[in-house]
Amino acid sequence: MSTLDRIKNVAVELLKIEASRINENSRFVEDLGADSMQSIELVASFEEEFDIEMDEDAALGVKTVGDAVSFIDKVIAEG
Amino acid sequence: MSKPKYLHLTPAAIKILKKNGCWSRHWEKVKVSKGFDPTRIAGTIFRGKVRIGSLDGQFIPRDGIRRYAGIFDANLHNVTIGDNCHISNINGWLSNLVIEDRVLIEDVGSIVCQGETTFGNGHSIEVLNEGGGRELKITEMTSAQTAYLTTLYRHDSELITTLDQIADKYAGSVRSDRATIGEGSFIFHCQNIVNVKIGKGAILRGIQNLKEGSIASALDASTFVGDGVIAKDFIIQKGAHVSDGALLQGALIGEGTRIGKQFSAENSVLFSNSEGFHSEVCSIFAGPYSVTHHRSTLLIAGMFSFFNAGSGTNQSNHMYKLGPLHQGILERGCKTGSSSYLLWPSRVGAFSAIMGKHYANFDTSDFPFSYVNEDGGKSTLVPGMNFFTVGTMRDGLKWPLRDRRTNADKLDQLIFNVLSPYTGQKMIKGQATLLELYANAERGQEYVSHAGILIKRLLLKTCSRYYRMALEKYFGDVLVARLQEKTPAELSQLITPPVGAVDGNAFWVDISGLLCAKPRLDDLLDSLKSGMVTDTSSLLQEFETIHAHYVDDEWSWILQSLPEVFGFKEGDISVDDLKSVLEKWKISSGKLLNMVEMDASKEFEGNVRTGFGIDGYQDADFDAVRGSFEANSFKQQLDDMRQKIETDLEQSIDILNNL
Repeated sequence: MSTLDRIKNVAVELLKIEASRINENSRFVEDLGADSMQSIELVASFEEEFDIEMDEDAALGVKTVGDAVSFIDKVIAEG
Repeated sequence: MSKPKYLHLTPAAIKILKKNGCWSRHWEKVKVSKGFDPTRIAGTIFRGKVRIGSLDGQFIPRDGIRRYAGIFDANLHNVTIGDNCHISNINGWLSNLVIEDRVLIEDVGSIVCQGETTFGNGHSIEVLNEGGGRELKITEMTSAQTAYLTTLYRHDSELITTLDQIADKYAGSVRSDRATIGEGSFIFHCQNIVNVKIGKGAILRGIQNLKEGSIASALDASTFVGDGVIAKDFIIQKGAHVSDGALLQGALIGEGTRIGKQFSAENSVLFSNSEGFHSEVCSIFAGPYSVTHHRSTLLIAGMFSFFNAGSGTNQSNHMYKLGPLHQGILERGCKTGSSSYLLWPSRVGAFSAIMGKHYANFDTSDFPFSYVNEDGGKSTLVPGMNFFTVGTMRDGLKWPLRDRRTNADKLDQLIFNVLSPYTGQKMIKGQATLLELYANAERGQEYVSHAGILIKRLLLKTCSRYYRMALEKYFGDVLVARLQEKTPAELSQLITPPVGAVDGNAFWVDISGLLCAKPRLDDLLDSLKSGMVTDTSSLLQEFETIHAHYVDDEWSWILQSLPEVFGFKEGDISVDDLKSVLEKWKISSGKLLNMVEMDASKEFEGNVRTGFGIDGYQDADFDAVRGSFEANSFKQQLDDMRQKIETDLEQSIDILNNL
């Protein structure tokens, strides 16, 4: 499964929204309705899903699903 | 007050007084100072022993109208009046008073002392637990620290007996059948004041009714009691401002505290720099900087400090079983959101934000800087999250700048630090607890339960990292400060606990504003119980000494905790270890500033613009009213802090390299 699909699955589960609403340009806050607490939970969920540790402030600065894909792929690549 | 040598009135003086409409049945009981000018008195009745100082001065109060020393249209009974006072339009009586020099009393009903009294000193109030059992004897000298011990160390009956004796001793020292009105006080347009001691430089204006109390005041810390205040069995400390229909019964108002707008307090203490407006408090222990501003807020049976109550904040201390027996503690720095509710008993960790309604009884004291939320009727905790909010950072910066106490002899000893061994030890414990909870939780589990509250499993690791970052920032802050403040000779002993400091393993406590290592407090308790500390002055001195040791005791704790927090090997800490502390400090401090900035920037983005631009031009309206984030003063502060981190790091590494 691609990083994008895995991110979508996490967002669907956490934000209780339909997968069809999510694309790479979707903004977590404005388009998907994540509040500040859910933003933190998303980061934690991505960490668990991908078994990585993300830099807190940088991760919270990620605005779109596409940005998250790039960010997570980079963290995974850096090992 | 000078001590005039009083003389009997001369027949000529009595003649002038009579001509001016004065009357006395026993003129021989009226004595005056040398050079007495009888033309300065008119329309006055003298009863009992009256002593009058010189009447040749003048002064201009804030209303700008010059007053000449003299006594006009007054009824005096057993009164000693100092030099250059102005007393006029006394409808009732001034009775059994010692009025010091340069006092103005004008348009007043009665100010009287009725028999022996301690003026509110030693009055016992049922603080914190409305059902009793934590009685506190309030005095003018009661500090937040003294009250903390008396209220919360009830298990130590010997200590409580000693503290009560100290309070009684002070009350005995002021016991009198004469009430004093201190030098330079102004009293205007008041109704009845009975058995009230008034300190120097106090301003009383428009008071409705005061009974059995003390208004401590000083020429360098004037106390104001104003319009419509009704108070009974009270203590108001120096520099306080109580006005606008405030109702006090069995209450202590601390130094620099502001009370007004129909605020009411019963069986409560509000220590230095607190603020109470509109709302109601009952049996609360409000430590320094406790603030409640809203009409719909009730604080009851709780302990607070550095606290801000949102509108509609409410608690219950009564389950309709055995009475109002329950109590709660919000550790320093907590805030409650609008319409928040807590069902006592609960205890909330320091610097936490409480939102929603909570019917569970929980203890989050090991999790400072947390969000206590309500999620579908359940109480949930997000540990450490509040450390990264703009509000907490702003609070930490503003408290020291908002100390309204101007007197040199301040009662409450305060350590303002947000990060301290007190919060540090809790974060170390909290971090470990969160990781343990994570390790023991099932992956499919949404929440884990701990000490009566739910924590989202997903957040356990994230929140433990928040504590790690906060600890790294804290330890680096202290190291940088120490490197910059100490001399090279002192720095040669950097990694040795300072001489006279307590053991670094010591547990830390927050004695209502004074952070201290427990062994220091234990020493004080021993001194109290062994009779080495026997009065209020020496007790206050002891707390001052504890305060003076804070910095070295803190460093001792830091040294002891460094290996655990930074994963160093046991044994001596090396210069390289300290450099690695600084490197981690730089990273964590930077992350903190970034996260705080993100939090602050939310005040300028998206939905917060709703309602601006009522007929269009939303952004223009917002920019005109709120300005841009980039130009915001707090954003500028954050940028300055970033710059300072770089400079401090460079300087600190240089110092370490030269050790």
